[in-house]
Amino acid sequence: MTRGLLEIAIVLHATGAAASFAGELRKRAAWTRAGALILSGAFVLELAVLAMLAASGPAVPVRGGADYLLALGCLVLGLHLVLSLGRGLPGIALVLPAASAAMVAVALVLPSTPPSGAALEQRGWLVAHTVVATSGMAALAVAFAMAILFLVKDRALKLKRSVRMLERFPPLETIDRVGFHAMLWGFSLLTLGIATGLAMKAELHRPLFAWSAKEVFPILAWLVFAFLLSARRARGISGRRFALLAIAGFALGILTVLGMPR
Amino acid sequence: MLTLVGMNHRSAPLDLRERACFAEDQLEAALARLRACPGIAEAMILATCNRVEILVRSDDPAGAAATVRAFLASERGIDLGVLEGHVYVHEGPRAARHLFGVACGLDSMILGEPQILGQVKRAYEAARRGQATGPVLDRLLQNALFAAKRTRSATGISRHAVSVAYAAAKLARSLFDDLRGRRVLLLGAGKITELAARHLVSQGVGSLTIANRTYARAQTLAESLSGTALPWDDVPKALERVDIVLTGTAAATPVITRETVRRALPARRGQPLLFVDIAVPRDVEPETNTLAGVYLYDVDDLQEIVDDGLGERRRAAEEAWRLLDMEVVAFDRWRQVADLGPTIAALRERLHAVGREEIARFGRRLAPLGEAERAVVEELLRAVVQKILHTPTVTLKAAADRGEAARFAALYRQIFGLDLPGGEKGEGSGPQRLIRGGKDE
Repeated sequence: MTRGLLEIAIVLHATGAAASFAGELRKRAAWTRAGALILSGAFVLELAVLAMLAASGPAVPVRGGADYLLALGCLVLGLHLVLSLGRGLPGIALVLPAASAAMVAVALVLPSTPPSGAALEQRGWLVAHTVVATSGMAALAVAFAMAILFLVKDRALKLKRSVRMLERFPPLETIDRVGFHAMLWGFSLLTLGIATGLAMKAELHRPLFAWSAKEVFPILAWLVFAFLLSARRARGISGRRFALLAIAGFALGILTVLGMPR
Repeated sequence: MLTLVGMNHRSAPLDLRERACFAEDQLEAALARLRACPGIAEAMILATCNRVEILVRSDDPAGAAATVRAFLASERGIDLGVLEGHVYVHEGPRAARHLFGVACGLDSMILGEPQILGQVKRAYEAARRGQATGPVLDRLLQNALFAAKRTRSATGISRHAVSVAYAAAKLARSLFDDLRGRRVLLLGAGKITELAARHLVSQGVGSLTIANRTYARAQTLAESLSGTALPWDDVPKALERVDIVLTGTAAATPVITRETVRRALPARRGQPLLFVDIAVPRDVEPETNTLAGVYLYDVDDLQEIVDDGLGERRRAAEEAWRLLDMEVVAFDRWRQVADLGPTIAALRERLHAVGREEIARFGRRLAPLGEAERAVVEELLRAVVQKILHTPTVTLKAAADRGEAARFAALYRQIFGLDLPGGEKGEGSGPQRLIRGGKDE
């Protein structure tokens, strides 16, 4: 039942992402509206799948890489719906729905893993850790999408593309501002996620750091974002370099999934 | 019948348009004199810097154009022979179509410009104040204004940049959230830079700083644009804090080098900087565009945007005409149905008169009938006439819907021997009957 629902959700998600992408690219409002509607349906279904997963078996929200990507994809899609409805940012539909659909699709492919007994002992910490870390990554996914939009728009402006092309995207300053705020939120939540992870390990009397993908990549991502945010504050770094590093930071963060149980 | 006599930037030279133009405060009196001309039932004068057009509804279609031409010539003191070589005349549905197009900016010098809509509206208001309009022009103008507004919004015709100033503002909006509060630096005090700066000021930019090699000229321009003059040597420092640089000096070599801009960048803390260089030869070194966060557009780039915008407007204009043509057809149908009024009334009157005549002819044979029986017979006859009238009336209205009202009306007049009071269409022609609120019955 859960898998069946998830399959329907991913089909809707991919269809909605394709309709939104095409609508945004061809400037067809009807396609964009249809895409948003289908994506809303996919979001509801994915939330239902997550709720069913949480209700079945031991109540741990994220049991492994598959659950993590599903939750992340669902959250990113939710953020996309909020951003596209609330702010009406043109161009965002080119990136976020496709990225979130890819996450959910990978979640479908990865096998689901039962949680370890040790993790269940610290269920409270685990819930807090997974919720904040996943939410942080979702916000960083928005920063990633904005960084891609920034690079595309910057390139279009530098190469003096047609005004029609430029109008497909929000003003460069808006892209930069939304990306920066998403990064601030993402970084704060990621910091909390790392802190709760450390606290959980301390409770379990385990070494605080191990050379595993699950621990190395979030730390690397955190370092990249910490550098970016402090450099922006100190020297006003922005533009292409800022966008490229934001993409690198998100890529490092998403690699965390490699270290998760599969 | 509608008749439009006019001249515009294509048909007449500027000096003739200037002479033919009416000031806004002259319109009401001029309209009163025009309405006093024989056959002119309704009138409106549209006078802008690029066109003078007189629209009338006349009971004398054949002579209306000549009457209006003569009026314009005598009113503005122009030789009629000269005038006739520079005016165009549109009649009937073509006059309505022309007005719809004018209101939408499709006949303007700058295709799709929005000011004309307001000018048509003001011309209509002046005509209404002077009581020069009636049901036909009221309906036509209201339809034209509504259709123009709707068509402009549906096609987005005025969205596309068609001037360098407009293109510069469009570029700026592509970079910045909002132009309000933006700091603009103007280099040079020439006419084109001034025009572009005025456009940016009209878009609400926050501050305007003007630098020129001759400081006094910068001061003069700064006063007229409510800006601030800047000594030329302070320009490199100013680059650290402005958002848009609009440059158009007459310098033979670039006045802004890549190195000058590069030195200003650290202080800008990543804020984007837009250069709009409309000078030939260029004022800003082309390599400046390679700097991160710096966007340089020269006159060729802007011209491409303008050409692109013109192409877009032409495409939008085709769509706009398609939409307006539907509105013109709808107006024409309304006018035809309104014009049928006298024919239908005459037909009814004719058949009822036949009924009354027959009652009178049978008077002696009906004499034995009492009052009540006689009333029943008369009622019966009226009902028969009404039944007979039903199909021809419906057919006539259907013909109007197909655009064949005039042909069918003429046919009816011939078949039933209708004699309309006041000539071909009758004194109380359709629209006039509408003034009285008359119905067909």
